[in-house]
Amino acid sequence: MLETTVLKRHHDALPKQKRISQRMTINSENETRTGQWEDALTLVALNQDKAAYAELFRYFAPRLRAFGIKMFGNEQQAMEMVQDAMLNVWRKARLFDASRGCASTWIFTIARNVRFDMLRKKQSRKDDISADDLWFDGDYPEQESNSSDHWDTMLMSEKLAPHFDALPPAQRMVMQKVYLEEKSHQEVSDELAIPLGTVKSRIRLALDRLRGALDDTRS
Amino acid sequence: MTHAVKFHPGLMLLEQYVEGTLSADVALAVSAHIDLCPHCQQLNNDITNDQAAVLTEQQVSGRNDEQEWNQMLDFITNQPVLAASVITDTKAAPVASVTVNGKTFQIPRALARLAENQNKWLHLGGIATAKLPTAEKQHVSLLYIDKGTEVPNHTHLGLEMTLVLAGRIVDENGEYGVGDLLINSPEDTHTPRTLADEDCLCLSVLSAPLKFKKGLTRLLNPLQQFFY
Repeated sequence: MLETTVLKRHHDALPKQKRISQRMTINSENETRTGQWEDALTLVALNQDKAAYAELFRYFAPRLRAFGIKMFGNEQQAMEMVQDAMLNVWRKARLFDASRGCASTWIFTIARNVRFDMLRKKQSRKDDISADDLWFDGDYPEQESNSSDHWDTMLMSEKLAPHFDALPPAQRMVMQKVYLEEKSHQEVSDELAIPLGTVKSRIRLALDRLRGALDDTRS
Repeated sequence: MTHAVKFHPGLMLLEQYVEGTLSADVALAVSAHIDLCPHCQQLNNDITNDQAAVLTEQQVSGRNDEQEWNQMLDFITNQPVLAASVITDTKAAPVASVTVNGKTFQIPRALARLAENQNKWLHLGGIATAKLPTAEKQHVSLLYIDKGTEVPNHTHLGLEMTLVLAGRIVDENGEYGVGDLLINSPEDTHTPRTLADEDCLCLSVLSAPLKFKKGLTRLLNPLQQFFY
């Protein structure tokens, strides 16, 4: 649990501004340190490597099923979704590009799209909105990084502490490790076994939420 | 210089969009907004990463279903993979445009395919609409408003989402430029209009018919058939 007092404990350790700038920057230094799933997908893409695919399958298929059951509320449709999604992973592995994101994100979006189209097909309209319309599978032009990564000084202020508790648990966990335990993004990624990009994403989302909470209290 | 988008869908809608739990018409408006808004492109990426990690972090019980999984695995790995030749470069968003009132406008990627099959433009005064082909009960259309035109004061029985695709529109609450997403609930009454020197193309998503409120325009309530 984060408390104001906990936040204060670190205040003397380093000049505030410096410490913040170390922790705050979510630069896009392009670390393409790929993990096991990215490697496995690459093997599938290059050699149609069945052993590498089986590894991916044994990890992701049961997780997709759990996701499907949550979404559909029944096992049968969930399994249909798993099969369609995992078949797409096998067939389209060549489309996976590790420089654009991690394997789990790619697989999640495939399952999400399969699920969406399954639901729509039930209403059976041909010229209807489809997952391909809704979710762009490609890159938007690169943007200059905006100020949102640097709003900073507010962050350590005591005013924020009460709002930490309102963050979704996964985001709060990352924020706690980065800002209170002063761990690097890479350390947090290793400790929680989540991709580095996800650590950065969760920080940005948490900051967005905290900023929103602050704006609310001010107005 | 592109217009800095000021009106966004907000985190809650974006999260449901990423999850895939928004209704298709609302999701389409959000998707087209994202195409036009770098800020929400970043949020969309971040939320997708976040939700994907939640998916993989969940504990799954080791059920006794090895056989079922093995069958599925066998089935899948015996399917042919996509030939390298059919994998096209999907990285660039397709560019699409629509023409109305003698002018051609670029429209976002999300609308490209649907706009190819749009219904024909119906004109009424300075206003024109063309419905996009979507499932029944959904009312997704392109809405063109010529310069210096006022849309009769109206309220909504349901949610009205308006995304500015080109030009500029103003109402009692503010001024909206390209990428701005206006969301009006049943309680909101507004009179959108264009400025004297600039027309406007919008995407309009209505979850229920409009109701025109003021004096004579009440007589025009059949108008709603035109919009809806």
